[in-house]
Amino acid sequence: MQTILAVDRLTKRFGGLVAVDDVSFDLFEGEILGLIGPNGAGKTTVVSLISGTITPSTGKVLFQGAPIAHLPAFRRSRLGIGRTFQLMKPFPGLNVLDNVAVGALFGTGGGKSQLREAREDAAKWLAFVGLGHRERQRADELGGPDRKRLELAKALAMNPRLLLLDEVMAGLHHGEIDEVVSVIRKVQSRGITVLLIEHVMKAIQSLSDRVLVLHHGTKIAEGAPQAVLNDPKVVDAYLGTRRV
Amino acid sequence: MMRPIGSIAFVAMLLALVFVPWLAPPALIQFGTTTLLLATLAQSWNIIGGYAGYASFGNSVFYGIGGYGTAIAMVQFGQPFGVGILVGAVLGVIFALLLGLPVLRLRGHYFAIATLALAEAMTGVVSNLDIAGRNIGLVLPLRKGDAFFYELSLGLLALATLTVFWISRSRFGFGLIAIREDEDAAGVMGVNTTLYKALAFLLAGFFSALAGGIHAYWITFIDPVSAFDITLNVMMIIMAIFGGAGTIFGPLVGAILLASISELLATEITGMASLFFGLVIVVAVVFMPRGLTDLTRRFPGLGWRYFRENLRLHRL
Repeated sequence: MQTILAVDRLTKRFGGLVAVDDVSFDLFEGEILGLIGPNGAGKTTVVSLISGTITPSTGKVLFQGAPIAHLPAFRRSRLGIGRTFQLMKPFPGLNVLDNVAVGALFGTGGGKSQLREAREDAAKWLAFVGLGHRERQRADELGGPDRKRLELAKALAMNPRLLLLDEVMAGLHHGEIDEVVSVIRKVQSRGITVLLIEHVMKAIQSLSDRVLVLHHGTKIAEGAPQAVLNDPKVVDAYLGTRRV
Repeated sequence: MMRPIGSIAFVAMLLALVFVPWLAPPALIQFGTTTLLLATLAQSWNIIGGYAGYASFGNSVFYGIGGYGTAIAMVQFGQPFGVGILVGAVLGVIFALLLGLPVLRLRGHYFAIATLALAEAMTGVVSNLDIAGRNIGLVLPLRKGDAFFYELSLGLLALATLTVFWISRSRFGFGLIAIREDEDAAGVMGVNTTLYKALAFLLAGFFSALAGGIHAYWITFIDPVSAFDITLNVMMIIMAIFGGAGTIFGPLVGAILLASISELLATEITGMASLFFGLVIVVAVVFMPRGLTDLTRRFPGLGWRYFRENLRLHRL
């Protein structure tokens, strides 16, 4: 299997707090890697370090063999890294279609140059995530679940090779989760590699090829989903150690 | 977005305005020239403030530099106006780049405050330059006839508006809007935020400097205090926002309406004029914070609820 992303001894300190502590892992072309861990484990920080909204204190990130840890975010996105935000960042003043068109106008390789083409592309991705009927609405008028879909469509319109999904299912009910799970499967079948941060274990189990667990910024387990979720260290991290 | 009706109205208005100097009395032509220059300034502020979302208080600096560039080229080097205004525009662009690269790293209020300081600094610098006539200023050669300046200002405003029209439907413009709405998200989606902000600042500087050059030659005089007057910058911001920042025609409509109201008040009630003018602005900002453009777009659907909603947004 070809490695698309290699994270090597990545560390991020915020003042005295070590948010990510010496974390290394590989991501293989075409796989879905689940990234889990209790709140505050450093999952979102890892995604931000890969996407470039923050830069690491030490350590390396290689994307398709090239070091990217100190590139500005827009360069990484042009190389093919797309992400969603856990705290959703729609462009509130734009309608839903144009929100996604921004992704198509920029994104991998610099994106489309014509607004008309970008809007056509955007409409396609909105249909893909099941938001086609909301094209003309302002982004800030959407409800929670639709905002999650919009985040996904924006990232997909960038035509990424690697997609970082930060809790796209939080706050969704069962039926909606199943929909998003099937969308992510379709994404994978297009050959896009996915790093999936999620608290919804059902989704992690059914989607992930492998799972990686962070706790207090360090990696405590990595491997096949079932084995990892039964690992005593992982159970302790989530439930706490039994004190007798 | 410019709808067909919008572009037809624009062309019709432009044609009508071209003929004003043949029909109107001199006082009206002078008022027209001032208004057109103000509208140009509001429109250039619109590029950096309305589209990119960076509330610049430094645009009057470009205006002053454009004026001084023109004046120095004409007075000290005996160049014709054409060369002078070009010098002013080039200087404006260079300044926009030099100032933009550091201050555009600041966001929100910090950017506004940093640019606010620029105007004060420029007054001080220019007051001590021999070539700029120190704090006395420079007297430019006289050119008779207001029509020339009126048409020139009209042409410049048309050019600035066409530029904004292009921006509004280009990849560049979408990048600017993305920066305005959420700069981090824009970067992650592939917008070269630093470059785009600098280009927007540069365009704003270019048009403001041209307006400054025309104004200096028209008035035939320039001095540090009036060239870098911060109230001018406040005026362009108010006009752009009153009409609708981040739209194509908002700043134009805002400039024309506010300039007319201000002029009417000044002739009708003289002494109290600025008080009433302030009142007009406060009422406008409270009831229609997103400007006239937003009002015309949403009032037909919402009716009086439109104003109630805006009031609620203010939490008054």
